[in-house]
Amino acid sequence: MSKEQIFLFGYGKFGRSIADDLVEHDAEVVLIESDEERYHEALKTHRFERCILMDVTDDAALEELPVRVNEQLVCVMDDDHLNVFLVLSLRAIFPQSQILAISDSIHATRKLKMAGANKVIDLYAISANRIHNILNKPIATRFLEGFLNADHEYSFREIVIPEGSFLHGRTLEEIDFRRYGVIFVGMIDVELGNSFIFVTTGLEHKLDAGDIIVCIGHDEDLDRFEKIIHNAEEEAE
Amino acid sequence: MGKGFRKRLESGIIHWAIRLNRSSRYRHIRKTVRDLLENPKNPYKRFFDSFIIFLILSSVFILIWEVKHPVPLWLDYYDIYFVSLVFLVEYILRLWISSDLTGELVEEYEKAVAVGRDFRVGPALLRGIKKKLAYMVTPAAIVDLLAILPAYRPLRVLRIFVLFRFLKLLRYTRSINQFVEVLATKRFELLTLLGLLFFVTLTGAIAIYILEDMHNPNINNLFEAIYWSLVTITTVGYGDIAPVSEMGRLIAMIIILLGVAMISFATSVIVSAFSEKLHELKEERIVESINRTAEFLIICGYGQMTKMFFRQAEAKRYNYIILDKDPERVQEAIHDGYDAIVDDASRHTTLSRFNVKNSKVTVLCMSHDDVENIYITLNAKSIDPRIRVIARASSPRIVSKYERAGADHVLLPNQAASTMMVFAILKPIIYKAIHAIFTGQNVALLDEIRVHEHSSLIGATVGSINFRAYKLILIGVQKVREDRFIFNPEDTLVLEEGDVLLVMGHKASTAYFRESSCLDEKGCLR
Repeated sequence: MSKEQIFLFGYGKFGRSIADDLVEHDAEVVLIESDEERYHEALKTHRFERCILMDVTDDAALEELPVRVNEQLVCVMDDDHLNVFLVLSLRAIFPQSQILAISDSIHATRKLKMAGANKVIDLYAISANRIHNILNKPIATRFLEGFLNADHEYSFREIVIPEGSFLHGRTLEEIDFRRYGVIFVGMIDVELGNSFIFVTTGLEHKLDAGDIIVCIGHDEDLDRFEKIIHNAEEEAE
Repeated sequence: MGKGFRKRLESGIIHWAIRLNRSSRYRHIRKTVRDLLENPKNPYKRFFDSFIIFLILSSVFILIWEVKHPVPLWLDYYDIYFVSLVFLVEYILRLWISSDLTGELVEEYEKAVAVGRDFRVGPALLRGIKKKLAYMVTPAAIVDLLAILPAYRPLRVLRIFVLFRFLKLLRYTRSINQFVEVLATKRFELLTLLGLLFFVTLTGAIAIYILEDMHNPNINNLFEAIYWSLVTITTVGYGDIAPVSEMGRLIAMIIILLGVAMISFATSVIVSAFSEKLHELKEERIVESINRTAEFLIICGYGQMTKMFFRQAEAKRYNYIILDKDPERVQEAIHDGYDAIVDDASRHTTLSRFNVKNSKVTVLCMSHDDVENIYITLNAKSIDPRIRVIARASSPRIVSKYERAGADHVLLPNQAASTMMVFAILKPIIYKAIHAIFTGQNVALLDEIRVHEHSSLIGATVGSINFRAYKLILIGVQKVREDRFIFNPEDTLVLEEGDVLLVMGHKASTAYFRESSCLDEKGCLR
């Protein structure tokens, strides 16, 4: 029980694909479903850490859930009303936890936020935004979709600068990331509550071991880059 | 000798017709003229129409002015020569494009050659000319011809034909056309009414003529009786002629009552015709105004997705029209302040109303029903493959169907939301970054910079551009020639006109870069 668990409420139109994706990324998923049929369906896959059949409107049952601090609760019930109700109950029972929810109605987003969800993914906002992008920036959109597709061509990767790397002690200006086929886009500032800082804000920084940089690129290039930065000396060109 | 000459003439005519018909320039000119005169979607037609309307109004104004005042000579010349000449040219052009004389001649000739029959120019030419004559006797063509006549000065009477120029306005002002169209839908009622009016007027006139001929000094003939009858029946009642006998007054009372009934009947017929048509006319106006724009969206369905689409800030920049089958939803859209009409986008006639030839049209299939979306996609693509279609699909399994139907982009809302959710769960920080990029927040705008004809970037290598100085990151280059996207290109890549640079950076940085890469100020404002 060392790994963080993800509590996923609902195995419906969203739950199914989210659950599958999460498992593919080696996450431990605890699935909670109130519908018996779906519960058995989920059980049959044998992919999840645990499947629980329960009435999500029952607070006593929710309290029994073995949720630890910092674990994420994901509400993706098909029924909007139920989803809002669930977020409200969970917020009251687990005030410290991260609660995420999907909204598939333009009216539900605000309600979910008010109920206490930390992050609400608004289906319509995302889709409408995607349409605007397709209309205005077709090339940029195709590129962005490269991140999200199942066979993702490119990915974002967080890379921790290892101890003894040649990157240690050098400024961002000095490093030519493009040599390695990757594009450096920003850093994660641990002190500032894990916030992401884009390089385009005019970031000036001297790298230290333990810093987290974020690069985009093809997976194989990123893999190679991650290996290379373990070296103490940068290879000559 | 005479036979030989006829032979030569015939072959001359047919060769001339063939040459003309094959000439692409001739056909091009013909098409342009037809477009200008008859295609309401042509953007230049408006200017041409305004010009003709100006000529008509000025000509009529001169006619009125002339009654009391002397007219300067140049104005007279303008009226006689310039206006009439323009109208004459217009008349000839309209006659020219009314039917395709050379085309038909060539077609008949080819048919005759194909079946090995002897070809006679005479009858074919006659048939063609008959078609032209048929056009010449249409009311519109007659009005056009009469409008030219006032140019003939020796006959002063012809001046009154200037008023026919007024009738020409019918052709050039849509509202009058629509008025006539609306009335035409009630043709039966109005004709019945007219017949009834004619009958009652005549009966009243004959009655008063017989009854009052001896007693009334004002009624001396049948014409005066008809005049009185019509003045009474329409409730105008000048009073210059009035019945004097009791029987005459009785007749007057009866036809006044009948007159009132008929007028109210006519009014109600016209009003109901308009109230039935008004809605349609409004929609037509919307369609026409959108057709005049160079680029527009046809949004099919007014549901949650469309609402959200319009809520986002970028929506303001589009020209659009919303189509929905459900009148209630259209009402809602209009209530929300959007241009919407009730129409079924899956029907051929609906989409072919739009100006797909001259404008860049994008169809958004926003319905949650896949069957309908695919049908609309096919419909749009069958009308013109250049129509871009962005469709919403409910599940990944059906995407291949959309692609086979020809959709340019298929959007999977459920999947997009699920993917974002997985990102948010597993990589919360990256999620924030991606979200910022997707929603186009200022700090990290992913933007496209086109290398246009006036750009200093043409011929430059990627390595020679100092993106860092602009605080930009070059993500990749879309090469126009190979139609390929190169991610993280080599420094040696040479940029050409039409290429698109994909950069990320602050909005201001992008704008600054765009500005400074531009040689010609005007070229970049676009």
